[in-house]
Amino acid sequence: MRRNRPVKHSELDFIIRIAGEGGDGVVSCGELLAQMAARTEFHVFTFITYPAEMRGGYSMIQIRLRDITIYSMGSMVDCLVVFNQQAFDNSIEVLKPGGVLLYDPAVVDIGKHDHEYMLEPIPLTMMAKEATGGSLSKNMVALGALSYLFGADMEMLETLMNERYASKGEEAMAKNHLALDAGYHAAANINLDTNFRLADLKPAGENYMLISGNQAVALGAIAAGCRFTAGYPITPSTSIFETLTRLLPLVGGRAIQMEDEIAAISAIIGASFAGEKVITPTSGPGLQLMTEQLSLASMIEVPIVIVDVQRAGPSTGLPTKTEQSDLKYAVYGAAGESPRITLAPTGVEDSFYQTIRAFNLAERYQVPVLLLLDQSIGYRKATVKMPDFDKLSLVDKSEPRKSVSIPKSSLISIVNRIEPSTTELEDYMRYLDTDDGTSPIARPGTLGGQYLATGLEHDERGIADQSPKNHLKMSKKRFRKLEFITKQFEKNPIEFYGPPDAVIGLIGWGSTEGAIREARYHAEKEGVVTRHLHPHTISPLPSRQISLFLLRLKYLLIVEENLTGQFAHYIKAKFGVKSIGVRKCEGMPITSDEILKVIMKVAGIDDEDNCTSL
Amino acid sequence: MKTTAQVYKKEAVKPIWCPGCGDYAVLSALQKSFTTLSLKPEEIIIVSGIGCSGRFSHYLNTYSLHGTHGRAVPTALGAKAARPDLTVLAIGGDGDGLSIGGGHLSHAARKNPDITYLLLDNNIYGLTKGQASPTTPGDYQSKTSPYGLGEEPMDPIPVFITYGVSFIARAHSFNVKEMTSIITAAIKHRGMSIVYIHSPCVNYQALSWDKLREQTEKLPKGFPVKDKMKALEPAYSKEPLYTGIFYRRTQPVLEDRLDRITETARKNRHGKSIGMSAKEIMEDFR
Ligand SMILES: Cc1ncc(C[n+]2csc(CCOP(=O)(O)OP(=O)(O)O)c2C)c(N)n1
Ligand code: SF4
Ligand SMILES: [Mg+2]
Repeated sequence: MRRNRPVKHSELDFIIRIAGEGGDGVVSCGELLAQMAARTEFHVFTFITYPAEMRGGYSMIQIRLRDITIYSMGSMVDCLVVFNQQAFDNSIEVLKPGGVLLYDPAVVDIGKHDHEYMLEPIPLTMMAKEATGGSLSKNMVALGALSYLFGADMEMLETLMNERYASKGEEAMAKNHLALDAGYHAAANINLDTNFRLADLKPAGENYMLISGNQAVALGAIAAGCRFTAGYPITPSTSIFETLTRLLPLVGGRAIQMEDEIAAISAIIGASFAGEKVITPTSGPGLQLMTEQLSLASMIEVPIVIVDVQRAGPSTGLPTKTEQSDLKYAVYGAAGESPRITLAPTGVEDSFYQTIRAFNLAERYQVPVLLLLDQSIGYRKATVKMPDFDKLSLVDKSEPRKSVSIPKSSLISIVNRIEPSTTELEDYMRYLDTDDGTSPIARPGTLGGQYLATGLEHDERGIADQSPKNHLKMSKKRFRKLEFITKQFEKNPIEFYGPPDAVIGLIGWGSTEGAIREARYHAEKEGVVTRHLHPHTISPLPSRQISLFLLRLKYLLIVEENLTGQFAHYIKAKFGVKSIGVRKCEGMPITSDEILKVIMKVAGIDDEDNCTSL
Repeated sequence: MKTTAQVYKKEAVKPIWCPGCGDYAVLSALQKSFTTLSLKPEEIIIVSGIGCSGRFSHYLNTYSLHGTHGRAVPTALGAKAARPDLTVLAIGGDGDGLSIGGGHLSHAARKNPDITYLLLDNNIYGLTKGQASPTTPGDYQSKTSPYGLGEEPMDPIPVFITYGVSFIARAHSFNVKEMTSIITAAIKHRGMSIVYIHSPCVNYQALSWDKLREQTEKLPKGFPVKDKMKALEPAYSKEPLYTGIFYRRTQPVLEDRLDRITETARKNRHGKSIGMSAKEIMEDFR
C-alpha cells in the first residue's frame, strides 16, 4: 500500500528580512514581529543567521508568514530592512522587484536601485537618538515603522515588548516605547501603500506555541519524562541546555553544567544507570569528545539521548552556521561496533516529536539515541500546535511498533524501560539474550536486581567473559535491536510525497525537507513531476521503504548540506544506487530555488548515462 | 538480616588480582565498612574506572558500573545527583584518577556531591604492566621510563586540600582495621570524600610494601581536621607518611543545592513551592 501525503496550497505568502550587524537588535525586532503574527492565525517561520562574535559581523532574521504550514524560509523577500551598508549589499538581491525597502539613509547608499522598490527611508539611528538620547533602540524605531506599514495591533505589540524587556528595567522599557512611537509616526508620514496586513487574520485559537527547534527539543524531552540533564555549552546547541536548566526544576528534574563534554555524558550515564531518563545536548566538537562514553552506553545498554545540533566544521569551523556534516560520525563514529539509533528531525515541530521518540526508543531498546539537528532548525522558530496532553498514553512492552512510531499532537505515546518481574529477579540475568535483543533492566534499589554493567565483554549475567563464542553471541544480541527496529519499519506503509510513477526522485534528510517540498511544488508548476522521500530515522534506515521508493526511478537526486555527499555515500553503500548530488557547503541552508534548478536541469537530460556529472 | 561482609561479596566471581596485591585489603575493608554501616547491597552504587583497581566493581554484590578509564567520578556524580537516596562510591587507580581523569576532581570538589572516592595508588600503571603513573617516583625505571623519569611525582593530598574536597584521608593496605574505620567515616561524611589509599603492586614495586611500612605513621590524636593550612604540612610530609583524616568539613552538598534550585525556580514562578506539569510548562511558550 502506498500513501501519498497531500500538499495544501495558498497564495498568501509574505517574507520580511531584517539585516544589520551583531548588536543592532535585529533578532529582537524580528522576533517581536513574528510573535505578533503567531498570535493570529498566521503560520510563522523564522530563520536567523548571526556572527560568531558578540559585536559586528552580518546578522539577519527572516520571517515568513502564511495561512498554511510553512516548510522553509523562502527565497525572495517582500520586505527588506537594512541597518547598514553591508546588510544592504548582502541582501538586496533577494528583495523582489516592487518590494518594500526600509533603510537608514544616513548610513546606506542604495545607489541605482531607487526605481525598483518601494522606498521607506527612515533615519533609524538619528531618530532613536532624538527620541531616547541614545542609538540603542534603533531596532524599535524600525519595528515601529514596520508596525505602521503592515498594520500591527499596537496594544498586543506593547504587551509583548513589556514581557520581553521586563528584566531590563522601567527606564529601558520607556525608551523602547518612545522609539517605537517615533518609527511609527515616521512611517505614517511617508505613508507607503502596502498590500499586506498583519491584522488581516483572526486571532489564533489558543493552541499554538512559537518556539525554536532547540526549544522544541527541550520541551519534547520534558514531555517524554526526562528529568535529568548534564551539559557543557556549545553553539548552536546551548539554548537546549539553557531551556532545560530553566524548566527542569519546575517539573522536579535536575540539570547540572559539567566541566566538559566527557564529564557531561559520564554524568548522564551515571544518572541513567541510577534509573532516570537523561539527555545531553551538544554540537559536533562535543560529540567527538563524547564518543568513548557513547560506546560504553552501547556496551552496557544504558538508555541515553544525545542531541547534536550540527554546525559547519571541521574543528571550530563556522560555529554559528549550518551544515549537515556529522552524519557519518553520528552513525558510525566509535571504536568497535557499537549500535546506536540516529534520528533527524525535519523541522521545529518534528524536533518536538522526534525527541519524544528518541526517548521512547532509548528506553525501550536500551541504546544511545542521537538526534541530529542543525543550526538552521535549532535557531528557526515556527508555530507548533500544542500537543493534546489528555491523549498521552503509556506504551507497554507488548507493543513494539508503538515505540518506533512517531508521536503526534493528537496521540503522544510514552515508553518507559522494561524492569524485571519478581520471577525474573529470582535468577536475574541483566543481559538475557532475547528475540528483540533487549533485556529487563533493574532499577537500583530493587532487591535481587543488583548487577554489573561493564564495558568489558560480558555474558548474559553481566560477568566478564571474553571467550570467542560469547563475544559473537553478545555482539549479535546488541545489534539485534536495530534489526528488530528495521522489521518494525517494514510493517509500516511506505510514505512519500508525489506520484509513484514519477521518474525523478529526491531523497533528503533533516532540515532540507521544506526546501525540497517547495522545489517540487514549483517544478510541478513547470510540468516536471517528482517524488520525494525524507526518512526521519537515519540509522537504522527503513530499508524496505527506501527500496520501494527507488523502484522504477530514472534519476535519483540526493540533497544535503555538505561538500562530500555523506548521505549519498550512505545510501549507495546500502542500496547500490547511483545518484546526482544536490549539495551546498556554504554554512547556509539550501533554498528551494537551488534545488529547483537541478530538478529542471535533470528533466532536460537526454543522455541518461552522464547524469551524475551535474 | 545477614550483616556479615559476605552479603556484599559476589560469590560467582573470584578476584583475579595477583596474590599479595594491595587491592585485596581494600576490598575486605570496604565490605567491613558496609557491614558496620548496615547498608543494603541493593542501595549501593559502585562506579569503577579502568585498571587493576577498576576491577573492584566485579567483586561486589551491589549495583556496579565498570565504565571507562578516568570517568568514575563524573559518572558517580551523575548517579548521586539523580538518586540521592542511594550510597554512591567511585573507585579507581592513580592513573585513572590523577592522570586521565585528573581534570574532573577539582570540579567534583566544587560541586561536593555526597559520594566517596577510593583512590588506590600503587604508583604505577598495573593493568597495562608497569608504565609510569603521575605518582611514580622520579628514580624508578618503568617500562616507559627505561632511563629514569623526566618529571617529578605529584603530591595528591595537598592537591585535594587546595581543590576544596570536603573530606580527605589517607590509608594503606597493610592496616585493614584503620582503613575500615577511615572508609566508614568517609561514607558517613556528607559531601565528597576521598580516601587516598596506598595499595602496593607486587609486580611493579615503584613503592614497595617494606618502604611503605617503614615510612608510615598515624596522624597525631586530636589533629585539627577543620584547618586547611594546618592540614597542608603533614600532607606534604614524605617521612613520615601520615595516615588518617587530614581534613573534614561540612560544606554545601550538590544534592541539597539542586533541591534549593528547584525551590527557587518554583517560587519565582508561582510564589510557592509546587511543581508544574509538562503541559503547564508548554503554556508558557504560547
Ligand atoms: C582511553 C584509554 N586509554 C588508555 C587505556 C589503557 N589503560 C588501561 S588501564 C591503564 C592504566 C591503569 O593504571 P591505574 O589507573 O593506576 O590502575 P592500576 O592498574 O594501577 O590499578 C591504561 C593506561 C584505556 N583503557 N583507555
Ligand atoms: S599487577 Fe599489581 S596492581 Fe595489578 S593485580 Fe597484580 S599486584 Fe595488583
Ligand atoms: Mg596504579
